[in-house]
Amino acid sequence: MAEHCYHCGDAVIGRPIVAGGHAFCCNGCKTVYKLLSEHALTDFYKLEEKAGNRPSGSAAHKYTFLDVDHLRARYIAYEDEQVARVTLFLPQIHCSSCIYLLENISRIEPAIRSCQVNFVRREAHLVFDPKKLKLSALATLLDNIGYAPNFGKRTNDRLKTEKRFLYRIGVAGFAFGSVMLWSFPEYLGIGRDNPEFRNFTSWLSLLVSVPVIFFSASAYFISAWKALRFKSLNLDVPIAIGILALYLRSVTSILQGDGPGYMDSFTGFVFFLLIGKWFQDKTYRSLSFERDYTAYFPVAVTRLSAGVEEIIEIEKLEVNDHILIRNEEVIPCDSQLFSDSATIDYSFVTGESNPVTRKKGDFIYAGGKLIGSPVVLSVQKESSRSHLTSLWNEAGTKKMIKKKGATDRLSVYFLAGLLLVAALTGIYWYLVNPQNMVPAVVSVLIVACPCALALSGPFVYGNTMRLLGRKGLYLKNTEVIASMHEISDIVFDKTGTLTESEQLHPVYEGPELSMEEKQAVYSLASASTHPLSRAIARYFSENGFSAAPVSEYREIPSMGISGIVGGKSLKIGNADFTGTSGRQDSGTTVFFDVDGRKGSFRFQSELRPGIGELLSKLGAAYRLHLLSGDHQRDQRLTGTFPPGSALYFGQTPLEKRAYVRSLQQEGRVVLMIGDGLNDSGALTSADVGIALSEDMFRFTPSSDAILEASQLTRLSEFLDITRFARVALITCYTFSILYNLLGLAFAVSAQLTPLFAAILMPLSSMTIVMLSTVLVLWHGRGFSKISKS
Amino acid sequence: MGMIYIMLIVSLLIALFFLFSFFWATGNGQFEDDYSPSVRILFEDENNQKSNTYTDGNTEV
Repeated sequence: MAEHCYHCGDAVIGRPIVAGGHAFCCNGCKTVYKLLSEHALTDFYKLEEKAGNRPSGSAAHKYTFLDVDHLRARYIAYEDEQVARVTLFLPQIHCSSCIYLLENISRIEPAIRSCQVNFVRREAHLVFDPKKLKLSALATLLDNIGYAPNFGKRTNDRLKTEKRFLYRIGVAGFAFGSVMLWSFPEYLGIGRDNPEFRNFTSWLSLLVSVPVIFFSASAYFISAWKALRFKSLNLDVPIAIGILALYLRSVTSILQGDGPGYMDSFTGFVFFLLIGKWFQDKTYRSLSFERDYTAYFPVAVTRLSAGVEEIIEIEKLEVNDHILIRNEEVIPCDSQLFSDSATIDYSFVTGESNPVTRKKGDFIYAGGKLIGSPVVLSVQKESSRSHLTSLWNEAGTKKMIKKKGATDRLSVYFLAGLLLVAALTGIYWYLVNPQNMVPAVVSVLIVACPCALALSGPFVYGNTMRLLGRKGLYLKNTEVIASMHEISDIVFDKTGTLTESEQLHPVYEGPELSMEEKQAVYSLASASTHPLSRAIARYFSENGFSAAPVSEYREIPSMGISGIVGGKSLKIGNADFTGTSGRQDSGTTVFFDVDGRKGSFRFQSELRPGIGELLSKLGAAYRLHLLSGDHQRDQRLTGTFPPGSALYFGQTPLEKRAYVRSLQQEGRVVLMIGDGLNDSGALTSADVGIALSEDMFRFTPSSDAILEASQLTRLSEFLDITRFARVALITCYTFSILYNLLGLAFAVSAQLTPLFAAILMPLSSMTIVMLSTVLVLWHGRGFSKISKS
Repeated sequence: MGMIYIMLIVSLLIALFFLFSFFWATGNGQFEDDYSPSVRILFEDENNQKSNTYTDGNTEV
């Protein structure tokens, strides 16, 4: 039974399509397989099993805009007579097989001269012959093999700051190594014996540490200065004080000809701190968490002017322009329907799961996706002024109240304690031995510098973030973890979150059918590859039927299928096709006719498997809420939620956001999980907003985290991991404070030697790095990702 | 004793050489993609020829 597609690995429903001795789930997958085997690229299947992407199958007109010169010029990086270069963002790249296939694409299309993949950025750099291959044809080819290029805007800013950060680490590391080498005589206690040599190495150390303080460590001073200016404190303040104390103390020592001071500790310190920061800031570069509504719309649409089709950018559309929208295309502007009727899927925008039907002259809001045959629309408002855009901009208002993180609160106590100890030490030595006063106070400032403390957060949170990422939850940054373990309430969206947006579940309506009739419907439905036919076939497959042969099989696009099975004449399709009196209710309904007996299947989205279990598990620890965009109360859900949960239906986007805000005003900390644009306001308002996505790189609203839809049932375990992160963090804090106290004991007694500092600091930092890694990974062991199929 | 000063300068120069190699590598994008090179090397030989065409393509431009 559990047969999986050889190409994409999804479960095969109904009768599999067989080619080359392998089973496929759909014609799309089979076509890709055939294409690959014809060009001797079957290694693709050897590198990683079932690695393929199912092609979207809607490529026909999608890329024609790339043949318009000025649009094409936006993407082509270089072009001359022989070659053109282009870098395309292919979000579907996900494994080594993808790299293999794309880099050998020239075997399929010889006009492509080469292709190089950047896996981390999910980009392909293609060099092709512009005379033999159009850019649109190239895009279509990629789409057909399952890698649909994305032509949305992308920025390179993050790449630049990342590089700058690597330079900072490089400089600090270089200085650290060099200064340590030159400090060896000091470590061996023979520095004093050669004053001339000592002077020379000291000055060299001073020289190489200049760029460390002015370039590598500058971010800490800037951050500390900013905090002080706004009369607040962060951990960077004590760090900046410590760094400065170390540096100035060492410079004084060198200028007085008194050896290199703590220059080795200073450079090493900055080096370790920067590595900690780098570890924390390493994020999911290829995922984008901040979204602009323009990314949701296509780049261009087809405009009809005087009967001539013309491709035009969306921004250039004007009121009263007529545009042609095809199946699966997004409606870019608020407009009026010019064709007779249209079926539009608004589930992503409003959360209403059933597609709606509009008649000629009806007003159509932007953002819906057309289902079925092409329609002509008359533009009523420019895209930037549409209802959807204003909704988006409204939701875009940032979280107003940003709570202070645990480390920031800690730093207040830390700084207060530090100043107190420094003052007491100063007073003590002033009374006992004034000569020791300045050195003792300076060494208190040096040794108290919270290096290990500053590394605790980045390493605990960084490791946790990586652990979660491996399990399918991708966080925007490490701060999200801190917010996650304070959660008290979880708010769910329904459509696409608790229910699967792609798996439709048929509900049978009509007269009781005999086994023969059921078998006949099953056989005909199995013969088609249409998703609805496959769902019907799956519905009957529980009876253990095997498909009977179908004669006179006919498939009429967007109407239905017909054929003869076992002497029975059958039709499956829409109301007109089967001759059923047009009962147009909301939702997707498929009608059938077996020798005059009529019935229908109403399709409703299915609850994700394991939701009930998840909700009862979560219900024990959190208060649960449901905000559904659907107007109908879903009986399946009211039973699934634990008693005491709040369930609301027919919620508009603004109501959803208002609900989250009202919870927050009651002092609750809210986690919101949603997937559509209608949730975007609630997602940004919530303390933690998680966007759910079936496909990691599809468009999702702005959020703090993106969760793979198949991993939703693991939510309680994710929350458990974030709670453990806090335990690990406290453990690390304890250790680092113990180290600081040890150092302080030496410092207040004016016994802190440079050698002791040089050992203590790396030792404490290494302890924290290892401790945090071991704790988090040990806790996360045996927690594996639910596989796709 | 004089020798050690020369050696120190030499060691500093070597360290600087590595520092600038690191700068060059970072600027050149060597650390941008840490996954595909590890896979690319495992592909069959015919792929290497393709990489050659890639460099040829570069020189033509």
